[in-house]
Amino acid sequence: MHLTEDQLNEYLDNETSDRVKIESHLSSCAECAARLSTLQHLFAEIESLPELALTKSLAAPFTLRPSLPAKLPTFLTLTVTLQAAFAVVALIVAAPFVIQLLPAIEMPSLGNVFIQLQTQWTAWLDILSQIQMPKLPTISFQLSSLYLMSTLVVVSVLWLVGNGLLLRNQIK
Amino acid sequence: MYCGYKAYFHYPATFSPRLLYYTLAMIPLTDRDLILQARRGEAQAFGELVTRYQTSVFNICYRILHERGEAEDLAQESFIRAYDRIHTFDIEREFGPWVRRVAVNLCLNHLDSQKVTVELDDERDADSAQLPEAVQEVKERSEQIHHALASLPAQYRVIIELRHYQEMSYEEIAAQLNIPLSDVKSHLFRARKILAEKLHASD
Repeated sequence: MHLTEDQLNEYLDNETSDRVKIESHLSSCAECAARLSTLQHLFAEIESLPELALTKSLAAPFTLRPSLPAKLPTFLTLTVTLQAAFAVVALIVAAPFVIQLLPAIEMPSLGNVFIQLQTQWTAWLDILSQIQMPKLPTISFQLSSLYLMSTLVVVSVLWLVGNGLLLRNQIK
Repeated sequence: MYCGYKAYFHYPATFSPRLLYYTLAMIPLTDRDLILQARRGEAQAFGELVTRYQTSVFNICYRILHERGEAEDLAQESFIRAYDRIHTFDIEREFGPWVRRVAVNLCLNHLDSQKVTVELDDERDADSAQLPEAVQEVKERSEQIHHALASLPAQYRVIIELRHYQEMSYEEIAAQLNIPLSDVKSHLFRARKILAEKLHASD
């Protein structure tokens, strides 16, 4: 009784439970040993197929690709949470002391502060009124509203054209 | 070899003493280091991983599809998928087998969506005139193997790929293809029989 094709295949694939039985048969049967060696040769031939080279690098899209947004490491986010918790606890602990200390601090009344600010302001105004402004140079030609309007229009057009030139690449 | 210096100068925000040591000592970064960098958002580090595995991934696609253009597209797609899922990748596992499995799955989906036999591309026939005789013989034999593989039905080709090139066990193949173990065996043995017939006929 010779070995079946399935048995030979499973034996070479290391997927059989009766290795010992198959091996003892192979040692005594030349025909089955020859069939095994043919199959082995086929395996070797399949696996000898050389690898083909790529014509382009597949890495290129990743060097041009915008990077993923970096994630903060967990220890950092944990630190932030801990600090916040610490601050809340500190605030709760400190609250009674602060309330006790507050009346002891002397605060100027709001009215006084306001009066002080106002006197300061009037003093500044006095100084300002005393300053003599230099005389403006006289313009030899008559400015009409027509001139002003046309200048405004020209400047607006220039501004639009200039911006258009600057942004033309982004618009494309 | 990519030694991390590029990443160091481009992304000073992710400074680490380990990276600096590797840079100064010119030690190539491990896959694990590169994955960690890619997770921090450094696409360039992933580019280095792609450079390391692109040939093997492309060849899987090529052996299954037998069409260069499609194989290159699917290999590219495999790496894009892997990059998008880099945060879910288990860092304790190896990157190579993982990305190869992504490629196999993509090829299977592609075959399912196509359901047509693909034309054989004659690339391996080009430039064979000037080669020495021994090299020529090896080349001719590998062409015969290649043609024999290409003539197999797609599901047989996939099983040959998984068993002989990815070295998966019967059970792993059954799980990957979601078919019974008995089908794995019958398809695999049948595929080998066809290959043997074709190759012996051409001897």
